[in-house]
Amino acid sequence: MPLFHAGERIRVLDLGKAGHVRIPAYVRGHVGTVVQFCGVFLNPEDLAIGNAGGCVVGCYRVEFLQTDLWTDYSEYPDDTLVTEIYEHWMEPAHG
Amino acid sequence: MRGYHDIGGSLSGPIPRTELPWLDWEKRVEAIRNLLGDSTRRVISLDEMRRGFESFGPEKYRTLSFYRRRLEAMIDILEEKGVLTRAELAAAVENSVQEPGET
Amino acid sequence: MAERDTTDPCPLPLRTAYTAQEALVVEDDAGNAEAARITTILEGILVTKGLLAKGEADQEIEKIETPGLHLGARLVARAWVDPDFKNRLLADGKLAAAELGMKVGEAQLVVVENTPDVHNLIVCTLCSCYPRSILGQPPSWYISKTYRSRAVREPRTVLHEFGLDIPEAVRVRVHDSNADMRYLVLPMPPAETVGRHEIDLAGLVSRDMLIGTAVLQR
Repeated sequence: MPLFHAGERIRVLDLGKAGHVRIPAYVRGHVGTVVQFCGVFLNPEDLAIGNAGGCVVGCYRVEFLQTDLWTDYSEYPDDTLVTEIYEHWMEPAHG
Repeated sequence: MRGYHDIGGSLSGPIPRTELPWLDWEKRVEAIRNLLGDSTRRVISLDEMRRGFESFGPEKYRTLSFYRRRLEAMIDILEEKGVLTRAELAAAVENSVQEPGET
Repeated sequence: MAERDTTDPCPLPLRTAYTAQEALVVEDDAGNAEAARITTILEGILVTKGLLAKGEADQEIEKIETPGLHLGARLVARAWVDPDFKNRLLADGKLAAAELGMKVGEAQLVVVENTPDVHNLIVCTLCSCYPRSILGQPPSWYISKTYRSRAVREPRTVLHEFGLDIPEAVRVRVHDSNADMRYLVLPMPPAETVGRHEIDLAGLVSRDMLIGTAVLQR
């Protein structure tokens, strides 16, 4: 059962992890809406150091308002950005 | 903690529009990585190659071309895995230069 | 450096300006010759060590040269004439592509539909993820550092530079392909598709439409 569902508001955590991560810096700490659950995958953070023995992690497409992500994006308030976030980088956000 | 490759939103400047040809050596780099990463070998995954160019340093990242970055990352990972050493590769390249008639 | 916003956990610095040469490093002849030599020698060592078979890389090169615009255009043309196929394509791109004999090598193909309300744009900020098993290798501009960086932050300005101005009433939706999904834009069809042959419709599709930096003139 995926932890998060389409339409749910989540916050991207900033795990302060060194090494290979696939969560771009510009979305960390921001709140977005889950678009869809993409399935489970081996964690690229582990695969990058040759460790294929860990547990799978859920992956979700999450949508953000551009005006939330960038302080200088003001003219088009409906524009959005969607990117893929792994479950361990997400927590529920309220409001 | 932001990798030097993690450039979303942090650069300005022109987007070059000249379309470059895809050269044989570049295709070969991709082909070799695909083969080494296949299910019968699993010597270099895409994730490992990415970790390779994300950790070989900002100077290389800034100055090397796209496929050269992948080639260098692949060599680093192969050395890490004990497949070859840079010294061995360099020696083989040196020998090939000295004997121009051979490949 | 701009002042850090202490309420923002990920404060953004002022942007660094890149030249075209820095955005896309192009090898000169000597650089290409050197890289070609190293690659050939590397292949030889890997063959000696039994990790590659002789000639195997050449065969793999033929494989990776095969996909291209023609495959993406076929998917689009079929979706334009067959609404049920379109729905299947939007639900599961990999499965739908398999119906047309196309094997998507990546984990999943997500097809995003342009509508009168939404224009989609694809980028990979972290490297150069692209649906290579369908479209082949990405264009040089797609892998440039300035496209990777600017497409997420100022998509409309980037699109303007590509000659595409998106009206205010249309939402721009950028997809940063940072993990295992790969993306293809389904462009809006021509005004009339009834009675038009799929092959002709496929001929209308350009690679840039599938990334989102161009649209069909309707």
